[in-house]
Amino acid sequence: MPAFRPSFRCFFRHPRTVLAMALLGLAVTAGAAQAQSTDVDEIVARANQAAYYAGDDGRSEARMRIVDGSGREQVRQFTLLRRDVDDGRQRYLVAFSRPADVRGTVFLVHKNPGAADDRWLYLPGLDLVRRIAPGDKRTSFVGSHVFYEDVSGRHLEDDRHTLVETTDAHYVVKSEPKDPGSVEFAAFTTWIDRDTWLPVRSEYARADGRVYRRMEVLEVREIDGYPTGTRMRMEDLDSGGHTEIEFRFSAYDLGIPDAVFTERSLRNPPRQWLERQ
Amino acid sequence: MGETIARLSMRRPRWVFLAVLALVVGLGALIPRIAIDTDPENMLAADQADRVYDARTDARFDLYDTLVVGLVSDRDEVGIYTPEALADLHALTRRIQAIDGVVAEEVMSLATVDNVEQVAPGTISFDWLMDAPPQTADEAAALREAVERLPMFLGSLVSEDGRAAGIFVPIEDKNASHRIAAEIEAAVAELGIAESVHITGQPVAQDTFGVQMFEQMAISAPLAGLLIFAVMVYFFRSVPVVVAPMLLAMVTVIATMGLLIGLGYTVHIMSSMIPIFLMPIAVVDSVHVMSDFSERWRAGGDPREVMARVIQELHKPIIFTSLTTSVGFGSLLLSPIPPVQVFGAFVACGVLLAMVLTLTFLPAYVAALPGRTLDRMAERVHGASARGGEGGRLARLVAATGRLATRRGRALLALFLLLLGVAVYGITQIQINDNPTRWFKAGHEIRIADRVLNEHFAGTYEAYLVVEQRAGGDLAALLAERVEPLLAEARAAGVALGDDWASLLAQSRGEDIQATLDNLMFAIDDHLFEVGATEAEWWERLLTATEAVRSEALTFQQPEVLRYLADLQQYLEEGGYVGKANSLADLVRTVNRELVSGEAADFRIPDSAAGVAQTILSYQSSHRPGDLWHFVADDYRSANVWLQLPSGDNQDMQRVLDAVDAYVDATPLPAGLALEWAGSTYINLVWQGEMVTGMLLALLSAFAVVLVMMVALFRSLWLGILAMLPLTLTVSLIYGVMGLVGKDYDMPVAVLSALSLGLSVDFAIHFIQRLREAVAEAGGDWRDGMARVFAEPARAIVRNAIVIAIGFLPLLVAPLVPYVTVGIFLASIMAVSAVVTLLMLPAVVATWPDRFFAVPARPRPGAPTDTRKEV
Repeated sequence: MPAFRPSFRCFFRHPRTVLAMALLGLAVTAGAAQAQSTDVDEIVARANQAAYYAGDDGRSEARMRIVDGSGREQVRQFTLLRRDVDDGRQRYLVAFSRPADVRGTVFLVHKNPGAADDRWLYLPGLDLVRRIAPGDKRTSFVGSHVFYEDVSGRHLEDDRHTLVETTDAHYVVKSEPKDPGSVEFAAFTTWIDRDTWLPVRSEYARADGRVYRRMEVLEVREIDGYPTGTRMRMEDLDSGGHTEIEFRFSAYDLGIPDAVFTERSLRNPPRQWLERQ
Repeated sequence: MGETIARLSMRRPRWVFLAVLALVVGLGALIPRIAIDTDPENMLAADQADRVYDARTDARFDLYDTLVVGLVSDRDEVGIYTPEALADLHALTRRIQAIDGVVAEEVMSLATVDNVEQVAPGTISFDWLMDAPPQTADEAAALREAVERLPMFLGSLVSEDGRAAGIFVPIEDKNASHRIAAEIEAAVAELGIAESVHITGQPVAQDTFGVQMFEQMAISAPLAGLLIFAVMVYFFRSVPVVVAPMLLAMVTVIATMGLLIGLGYTVHIMSSMIPIFLMPIAVVDSVHVMSDFSERWRAGGDPREVMARVIQELHKPIIFTSLTTSVGFGSLLLSPIPPVQVFGAFVACGVLLAMVLTLTFLPAYVAALPGRTLDRMAERVHGASARGGEGGRLARLVAATGRLATRRGRALLALFLLLLGVAVYGITQIQINDNPTRWFKAGHEIRIADRVLNEHFAGTYEAYLVVEQRAGGDLAALLAERVEPLLAEARAAGVALGDDWASLLAQSRGEDIQATLDNLMFAIDDHLFEVGATEAEWWERLLTATEAVRSEALTFQQPEVLRYLADLQQYLEEGGYVGKANSLADLVRTVNRELVSGEAADFRIPDSAAGVAQTILSYQSSHRPGDLWHFVADDYRSANVWLQLPSGDNQDMQRVLDAVDAYVDATPLPAGLALEWAGSTYINLVWQGEMVTGMLLALLSAFAVVLVMMVALFRSLWLGILAMLPLTLTVSLIYGVMGLVGKDYDMPVAVLSALSLGLSVDFAIHFIQRLREAVAEAGGDWRDGMARVFAEPARAIVRNAIVIAIGFLPLLVAPLVPYVTVGIFLASIMAVSAVVTLLMLPAVVATWPDRFFAVPARPRPGAPTDTRKEV
């Protein structure tokens, strides 16, 4: 069954979802009357749509500040391109522009719901294109507190979801992994905004119930008609570190061609799409 | 003066007893506030440069005090690589991570680290090395193959022979290490782990030492007291009388420790020995007093009168021996080691307190005893002498010694000269070395764990070689230097950017210059979209200049700098100076190898700084990106080479330092780089070094002060020098023997040097002072005087030597080596200095009598012949 996965990428919303919801007779214009739902699968599916599938494609520039438990700060700047294919499949391209010494480093993902994602990495300094083995995706994304899996989204079907509570503002959903051995958490709880369907907070807990990791959307803006998380924060409560990401210059439905998301374009970054218009 | 005080005390015994009681209760009440401190780091003052640097290094590289847990398998072939053993390792690691006080996310074992691997051509994998224990022997073998490709872990997390696996357990507070070690042991028992498990690491050794030290304080001091009591009962044949010096010793110990604790000092390894030191020293004077008193007491006498005469005769040697002993201990204040200073100061105080009590409490107590008790004591003591018991045998032996020394003076002096020669040779052979792990006896479990784990692993002792970029640190100035010409050029071209630049720079101000530059780049980047095309061109140039300043400063992304580290490490490893060295160079080379081909040929530093940076970025895409910061600071201007040493001996650490110096001399560091040292093994070396020089200074100054005191006491240069002779030979002999038998000059030995001087001069003081009085009584005939001294006074000296030597004996069975050392050392000092004093002084006097005593015995005008009633 489809399930939901929160993520730091909260800025895309799929128009087809809007259409689908309209057909169901629900009030769905962004920020309109509050949604009413008690079906957890529907809730997580819509949240997933809101978080990862806004528009047919999208572009955003991200700035990341990584602060570790000892106060060390690192920055990363990258442009993120996304295109939806079909059946929930997606392509992501992440191209780094800062720090200068990692400029041109590119990360490509072909997201395949129901199967393993394909991932590639290009390192210009070593002139190497490498496929990343479909192993653990819950490793750090370039040293931040965000995981690779957070970038393109955890597959909905990897967890069992329960609606814990419906508050005035949020659906509170608890998700438990179907394969507990594959992840470091025992469960995570997500607060889904009833206006925008965006997951605005997620808390990951260990078996003893202790929360050790927390994602929060700090700012939501409506862009091209899609509520979009433009600032988010991921905290590691064990080490006391956190990563804050700001998404800027977001835009949707740009008509980014499929060719941008191929292995070939790793070495020849699609400037036209990476540079600000 | 002493006599006046004694008389006063005997007249008002109640006041004396009340005062003593108040002292004990008042200061003793402070003892429960005791705080134990076993951290050898505290051997250095908190602001000592190396210690400050070490703390900064820990903070900069997120380094923790670490326990090392080792699982050792007895299976020869597969060693630890079996599903069962790995399951044990996995389970134990998880249990350890859950222990309170353990920095869970920093625990290192096969079960917590990542593997980067080219799993298929062109495909790399970042994954846990052992997220779950292997289920089959084949999987275990595959794990072995993976581990043996990871130089960062081989030799640390698994021994190269595959027999042992390690868990590195970083802890938040090293004072909790004994408890954490105990919890680990409990977890091992509960899990039923089949492999033998050892726990080591300097924090455990230190904290365990603290716990056992406390136990020793509770055992050794009372035991010493009991033995001293027994010996004195044997000598003086009266329990009620002997209770006096025992009470005196206990009062001294309680008051001194109470004062120390009450003043807020922690009880360190050194100060824990204060009771052991004070107990015998406090009774020394009492033994002289009681020895003299028992000789003089006759049935029906007036105890006050007899005691007054005893004190009149003895107050001077008592005061002077106490002063010299205080000076010996007090000289420790000159050492730069704070716990040693505290130890010296408080023992010195205790000695002075004991002196005051000997002149007040002891007379008051003895005088308050019923006459019958004293009669019985005197009867038994005299009876024993008469029957030829201890007293008689001792008396005959002592008298014979005196005759021998007087007759065979020259021969004895030649013998002493010879001994001194041997001692000096022995001293030149002394090895200066220490290792806190060796403070435990060889059979102690900590020593066993240390031995076993260091046999298998690259080393459980850590030192950090920190390489720092010292040049071009002022990035703000560099930025200004690069930017000014651009701004000027733009101005010349009619584009005024100065104000905008200044405001961007101001709004970008970050925590440090690196953060400022990062912010500035972002700010310029944003600004580019607000300005027109002409201005944008200039801003692009400014952005490029800013980026250049930011990335040029990243010293440890420069390939040649990392190669230097790699070469230095190889030199240290191949030369056998260290078990293993780990640095950013290993991390970069390993990741580079797996990114490129997975082949050994690609275990190298990339050719460009960008290549290095991207290798590091790839490494950060792991489960433990923070491990990077153990090896490099976030400004990439300093790096940490983690050295694993299989031995914590200072000499071995010194060899590493020398090797690095030699290497750097032959192969200069890249421009601007400088080396610094940190880590507990290095810190131990530092305080040991300070100890050696500090103690030498203390020894020399104590010698000078005691000499001056002797000259003042005897009002004669020659008698002063004479008094110094036995102790000079004694101290030389003891250190000479130490050098000859190969006992390392370590912390306890160093501390003993200065104070041994203060103790061993005591016998000479008593001897010479009593000799002068005897010679005067004998009308100036030094031979007659000598014979008198070899009666009661010499017996008192021998009794004293025996009392103290025996008092220190319980230390010999202590499980902690420093206590044993102190016991042996002090017992030897007492024994040797008594023998040397009784042989050497008569020999010297007999050889050059004119130097010391005018013959015939007519007092020359102004000559210091009679000082009995003075002072």
